[in-house]
Amino acid sequence: MSRKASDFLVKGIIYLATGITLSVLLFIVGFIFVKGIGLVNWDFLTRDFNEKVVYAFMESNDVPLGIDEETLSKKNPYDKRYETHLEGPIYIKNIGAAIAKVAYKNHSTEREQFVITYIEKDSPFHSVKDSTGKDIKIRTDYIVQSINGNDFSGMTLAEVAEAIAAESGELKVKIVQPGGGIKSNIITTLYMVLLSLLVALPLGVFGAIYLTEYAKPGRLVNMIRFAAECLAGIPSIIFGLFGMAFFVVALNFQISLISGSLTVAIILLPVIIRSTEEALKTVPMAFREGSLALGATKLQTIFKVVLPCAVPGIATAVLLSIGRVVGESAALLLTAGTVAQIPGTLFSPGSTLTVQAYYVAKEEGNIELACAIGIVIIVIVIVLNILSRITSDKLDVFNKR
Amino acid sequence: MDAKIKFNTKNLDLFYGDFQALKAINMEIREKEVTAFIGPSGCGKSTFLRCLNRMNDLIDSVKINGEIIFDGQDINGNIDVINLRTRVGMVFQKPNPFPMSIYENIAYGPKCQGQKDKTQLDTLVKESLMKAALWDEVKDRLNKSALGLSGGQQQRLCIARTIAMNPEVILMDEPTSALDPIATAKIEDLMSSLKKDFTIIIVTHSMQQAGRISDKTAFFLMGEVIEFNETPIIFTNPNDKRTEDYITGRFG
Ligand SMILES: Nc1ncnc2c1ncn2[C@@H]1O[C@H](COP(=O)(O)OP(=O)(O)OP(=O)(O)O)[C@@H](O)[C@H]1O
Ligand SMILES: [Mg+2]
Repeated sequence: MSRKASDFLVKGIIYLATGITLSVLLFIVGFIFVKGIGLVNWDFLTRDFNEKVVYAFMESNDVPLGIDEETLSKKNPYDKRYETHLEGPIYIKNIGAAIAKVAYKNHSTEREQFVITYIEKDSPFHSVKDSTGKDIKIRTDYIVQSINGNDFSGMTLAEVAEAIAAESGELKVKIVQPGGGIKSNIITTLYMVLLSLLVALPLGVFGAIYLTEYAKPGRLVNMIRFAAECLAGIPSIIFGLFGMAFFVVALNFQISLISGSLTVAIILLPVIIRSTEEALKTVPMAFREGSLALGATKLQTIFKVVLPCAVPGIATAVLLSIGRVVGESAALLLTAGTVAQIPGTLFSPGSTLTVQAYYVAKEEGNIELACAIGIVIIVIVIVLNILSRITSDKLDVFNKR
Repeated sequence: MDAKIKFNTKNLDLFYGDFQALKAINMEIREKEVTAFIGPSGCGKSTFLRCLNRMNDLIDSVKINGEIIFDGQDINGNIDVINLRTRVGMVFQKPNPFPMSIYENIAYGPKCQGQKDKTQLDTLVKESLMKAALWDEVKDRLNKSALGLSGGQQQRLCIARTIAMNPEVILMDEPTSALDPIATAKIEDLMSSLKKDFTIIIVTHSMQQAGRISDKTAFFLMGEVIEFNETPIIFTNPNDKRTEDYITGRFG
């Protein structure tokens, strides 16, 4: 074969390989987006995952409508993916709020429901207590299901309005906070990122300082390095098993935020040690000598000169770590659980976005929802990337001329 | 009039592992003089210089025999190294300002010693920059990064940073070898003016430089001091044939 022909062939293979890689990537991201984008909206991000039923206790109080009918009918956001507007809204004076009838349909349930579309300024809905006497907040979007034991199912909107208007004095309203959102998962993910970094970053950075600045090169250092590298290569399910046996069971932390973040912190350690070490090694010896020659101690030299120079590298480590935490599912499944709730304390469980995506895909068979969560994960990773880029540029001492 | 002896080394040997880099060095360095070290590459000038403020501590393989008496005390003994380095400052071959502001570079040493008073630091920064003949060039950009300065300015900044510690001795290892002739001339001027306050020891590869600025010159060869004498004598009438060969450029 002539040289020209073989060159051409090799070039062709290179282009083909690049093309395939790129199109696979685009296809995956595209697939996730096309599948999931229909579900992603503000409600999806701000609602809890599970519906929550509360009984609202309040004093009825006639409040006239403060806006005109036309504006009221525009405050009616019900034509969404799962929700179709049927009737209304009708304004009801004694609760100072407007209600509309909406059909709700998702892949597993189908029903008709009455939702609050507007709450007047002085409405009794603003001073509501639950059955334990705690203040609760009622928002538009919430579903009303009964009043003083009078259930609305099967009624028309007009009948419901009548039933509500007929009541007076002390009201007991059954309210459902709609679910289907991933607010709690987003918040759990952020908690997990913060907590695991809070543990792993200082440990990793100090470990790296020991390895590069203090340890005499030799067998011990090599062994620590080898151990760190091995740790980095171990699949995360193993860490999950360890976390479950150690944090969850032995230390009795239960399946919780703290068990999850400590387990992930262990996974992060080698990443942080490695990149911090690399960053410290690139700091010129001349800076250390210059500092020592000025009568600075070794610690002063490390903290005032060497470490600031290594900040961009450490920022990279943080970045990689965030990616790891956001992407971690196996270990967290076993240690932090699959409960879609905002963990109230360190010892309550909570599922991160990836765990939730796994859970809805596997347990509920809802691929669409999993893809929607996937979109949010992708966006979060991109945003965190950009943020840490910016901060590392800002902190880069070599950038400030 | 005999000036006070600042450094006195007695039979100083230095080994990097098995390799002997300095051989039985005996040298008396006097206060407020400029002493120049010359000699071919690899003859141990830097190694010797770094002994004087214990910078060789950073290298694990180094072993030292003999004494280095600094103001009557052997610095290889059990002394406070940090204190020694505040008294014996060092300027390196390549300018190495820290990646901080000009102000912070100068204030770094005093701050490490616990100096916190802002007004005192301000005056100290100003005085040091003036002594290093850099004040006029940088007074409007004290809070800008030192990395934005030219090479020559950076080196004068490093000298200013050393002066700010008010040391007794300043060691300089080829401080002008990375600079152009104009910047070099400025630093040489600076050294002549610093001479009245400080004892200066300088390593240089330039005979002219040694001739211009130094009072005494030591000629090193293969880890030994071949000849140590008044600079004019070394350059016009050396005792040793090897010194003469080196100075006239017949080897090196
Ligand atoms: N860290 C080290 N480990 C081992 N050997 C070293 C080390 N530093 C220097 N040496 C050796 O010691 C000898 C003296 O080195 P030194 O740097 O003092 O020479 P120099 O006179 O300053 O040379 P130059 O003019 O090139 O700077 C050289 O042979 C060098 O190879
Ligand atoms: Mg040298």
